[in-house]
Amino acid sequence: MMFRRLTDRSRNCVETGFQEARMLGHDSLGDEDLLLGILRADEGIAAEALSSLGVTLEGAREESEEMLSDALDSIGISLEEIRREAGEAFEMRVPDDRRIPYSPRAKKALVEARKKMRALGDNYLGTEHILLGILRNEDGAAVRMLISMGVSPEVLEDRLFELRGRAAS
Amino acid sequence: MDEKTRTWVGGPEDPREGLEAVVALRRLLEALEAAQVENAFVAGWSWARIAEVLGVSKQAVHKKHAGRIKDKYPGEPPGKKGKSA
Repeated sequence: MMFRRLTDRSRNCVETGFQEARMLGHDSLGDEDLLLGILRADEGIAAEALSSLGVTLEGAREESEEMLSDALDSIGISLEEIRREAGEAFEMRVPDDRRIPYSPRAKKALVEARKKMRALGDNYLGTEHILLGILRNEDGAAVRMLISMGVSPEVLEDRLFELRGRAAS
Repeated sequence: MDEKTRTWVGGPEDPREGLEAVVALRRLLEALEAAQVENAFVAGWSWARIAEVLGVSKQAVHKKHAGRIKDKYPGEPPGKKGKSA
């Protein structure tokens, strides 16, 4: 149901989003992981819009790690110290044998993506729709990550439509 | 440090910060448990002994960690090898 009309690229972006989530120790697929998935898929209008505004996969991963570390700092825990003390065995990665579910925000982003697809009269669900869906979570981790990387959701959306118009003409 | 302790677990003025700290802590806990169980295994501890200290059943520890750790250390536990040598 959630996957109807997804382009191969969109499917790939969800798939790689899960891989990113696992790597970063996220126990569910967050909307920020979908964003990382788009960046990793690195094709299509969505990735182009992001990279044209200076958002890179590496930068976004770092931002996500920093959010975790900041959250721990807020309760007086230093991730760095723990990493040092626990030794080489310590990694945030979620083990392969543990399933990672969709988070409510990721689900919502995909639902909103479908609405955008319909509103725009498109018959495919591309990564640009997913990105627009992600931006609808105004309070979500992805939007906050983008803002702290200096990218406003409005500017990103404008850029997306600009590139879309260019592709159509 | 005062600045930090003031906002301990977010405080009622910002529930989101508090809730996000919980999420971060849960993720950290999982990673730390995995690392410490692995460390104990490498040191030659049995699943039973690890489970005892964690305060959970041997089955629970085995189910959660054995697959991952045995994939990483095929064959005998490294610590046990060291002991018999």
